[in-house]
Amino acid sequence: MPQLTEIWTYRGLIGNFAQRELRGKYKGSALGQLWSLVNPMATLGIYTLVFGFFLRFPPPVAGNGHLKNFAVYLFTGLVAWNFFNAIVLGSIGALAGAGPLLKKIYFPPFAPVIGGAGATLYQAGIEMGLLIIVMVVLQNVSWTILLLPVLLALLALFALGIGMLLAMLNVKYRDVAYLTTIVLNLLFYATPIIYPISKVPSHKNGIAVREYYDLNPLTQFVEGFRDVVYDLKVPSAGRLLSLLVVSVVVFLLGFTFFERGSRDVAELL
Amino acid sequence: MTSEDLAISVQGVSKMFELHSDRRTNLKERFVRGGAKGSDQFWALTDVSFEVPRGSTYGLIGHNGSGKSTMLKLLAGIHRPTAGTVAAHGRVSSMIELGAGFHPELSGRENIYLNGSILGMTKKAIDASLEEIIDFSGIPAQFIDAPVKVYSSGMYVRLGFAIAVNLDPEILLIDEIVAVGDEDFQRKCFDHLYKLRRKGVTICFVSHSLPLVQTLCDHALWLDHGHQKAEGKALAVVDAYLREVNKTEADRLGQSAEEFDDSRSRRGSREVTIGRVEFLDANGTASPIGTTGEPLTVRMHYEVHEQVTEPVFGLAFHHESGTHVSGPNSLEGGMMTGTPALGEGYADFRMDPLLLQPGAYVVTAAVVDTTMAHVYDYRDQAFALHVQPGRRAAGAGVVALPGSWSMRTVSTSNEQGVPS
Repeated sequence: MPQLTEIWTYRGLIGNFAQRELRGKYKGSALGQLWSLVNPMATLGIYTLVFGFFLRFPPPVAGNGHLKNFAVYLFTGLVAWNFFNAIVLGSIGALAGAGPLLKKIYFPPFAPVIGGAGATLYQAGIEMGLLIIVMVVLQNVSWTILLLPVLLALLALFALGIGMLLAMLNVKYRDVAYLTTIVLNLLFYATPIIYPISKVPSHKNGIAVREYYDLNPLTQFVEGFRDVVYDLKVPSAGRLLSLLVVSVVVFLLGFTFFERGSRDVAELL
Repeated sequence: MTSEDLAISVQGVSKMFELHSDRRTNLKERFVRGGAKGSDQFWALTDVSFEVPRGSTYGLIGHNGSGKSTMLKLLAGIHRPTAGTVAAHGRVSSMIELGAGFHPELSGRENIYLNGSILGMTKKAIDASLEEIIDFSGIPAQFIDAPVKVYSSGMYVRLGFAIAVNLDPEILLIDEIVAVGDEDFQRKCFDHLYKLRRKGVTICFVSHSLPLVQTLCDHALWLDHGHQKAEGKALAVVDAYLREVNKTEADRLGQSAEEFDDSRSRRGSREVTIGRVEFLDANGTASPIGTTGEPLTVRMHYEVHEQVTEPVFGLAFHHESGTHVSGPNSLEGGMMTGTPALGEGYADFRMDPLLLQPGAYVVTAAVVDTTMAHVYDYRDQAFALHVQPGRRAAGAGVVALPGSWSMRTVSTSNEQGVPS
């Protein structure tokens, strides 16, 4: 993997792409960076209203033994999902957006993609901070929260692997971006974000539904996030290990696929 | 030549692009029409080889679409060759488009960092040369912290150029440099390029300005539809290119001078009329093109309808910019015309050498009586004359003044370097 070291070589450029993304994003708007808080909170508000108030999904009891708050429960899963979603879609957009530039100047095409993920990480950091503050206020904290950055890093690798794969495919087939939006929508409901995983039956019509359901790495990620932030327990060793393996493998596959296509990307964009 | 002396080595390079219309950009096409390769291939370059010695300046010339820019992009690593090898030994910086990668919402200062890092500069290097970049670009202080979207296009390009020249490259690739900024800024750019050249930077550039290639480049490559037409000493390559261009232009224009419709502006009593006008070269061959520094004869065909005495033939040369360059006539030229016979004839005005500089001119032909008050026929700016550069690099202006140079030392001084 000689190209992997290139990521380090080009860290300055990656950082600059991340800054360009962050600085340029809300420039000219009155609220500026505040928008990066307003957006997730608006989503949170809508889901809370629909699923917690109208549909009355009961949240499980949190780790401190008495907290039962659907909004907080939802937010925990949503943070993880938003991060994944933003990196995947951001990667596709970042490569396509860098097209005109790649035609004129040589630089590794992964730089804008990874830079974009970096900007997303910053955004996720804000959301995480907000989540932790809420948890402290509600007195539902424990040392398990220290595992949060680890899970976040693994999720970043996983999302980036998928994002890079799709970004490169999208250069060749422009349908990929549209298809991805639909699949991500499906995936959102196939992951226990707005409902507790306990609602998923273990068997239905003789099919081991839950077993298949658990195969979704995002289910494991979301559950992992809930473990450390909401339930205040250490995720099972099996879950941690499988997340580690899946993340690294998916990232390496995505990166390798991306690098193989990147030599000709300036012509195809 | 050993490889250490080479900055760039290009061996048997070909580059094929698949034309856009043929690409399966969506899955439906892929499924419906299958993955069959179409025949819509475009070879931008075919079997090109050249070497650029370290520290030299190399020019790429050719008409539009000849593959010059593609070659530059291959050197920059933006595209990779379909066949052959491209090797650049050293840090490559390219100025293929200035200000590419500027984010319109970010300030000039922020964009210096962004663009600098895209071009391969470290943050430290940008910090160090930030003031120099701003200074070089000549962007007013109140603009440098404003978003670049409010910049004039000139400021935008100047900032881009200022960043690019501060990169400290070993190999610099430039696409069409002459189109940047005003006179003043261009001067600054050329000064800087000369400075880089003295420092030993290898420069490779694409230009349509042939005099620039001749003065700046050691070697040059002439590309024609992706094929290598000539390669070698810049002077010789440009010369060969010029000859071909001149020949093609002559073929295109045919023999007779292009004649404009002057039926509205044409005036005179028509006792004598002027027909076509021809331009003859040293061999007496008619062509609508003259060459600076070589003989040219302007032949006015006339027809006498009624007896007149001492008609005066006159010509006027206007540069395309509108400047009236000269207006010779047969009276001041000392030609007695007597009483020309009824019928057709021609009057010649011979110039040896032609002193007009390269460019487009329009010619007025007239025939008047001796007093010059009565006009027989006046064809105002009715004929086109193209003047092409001769063997020597063309100077500036409209006319090459016929003078000769000499020098002489008036007194000598023993003290070195101090003029007395």
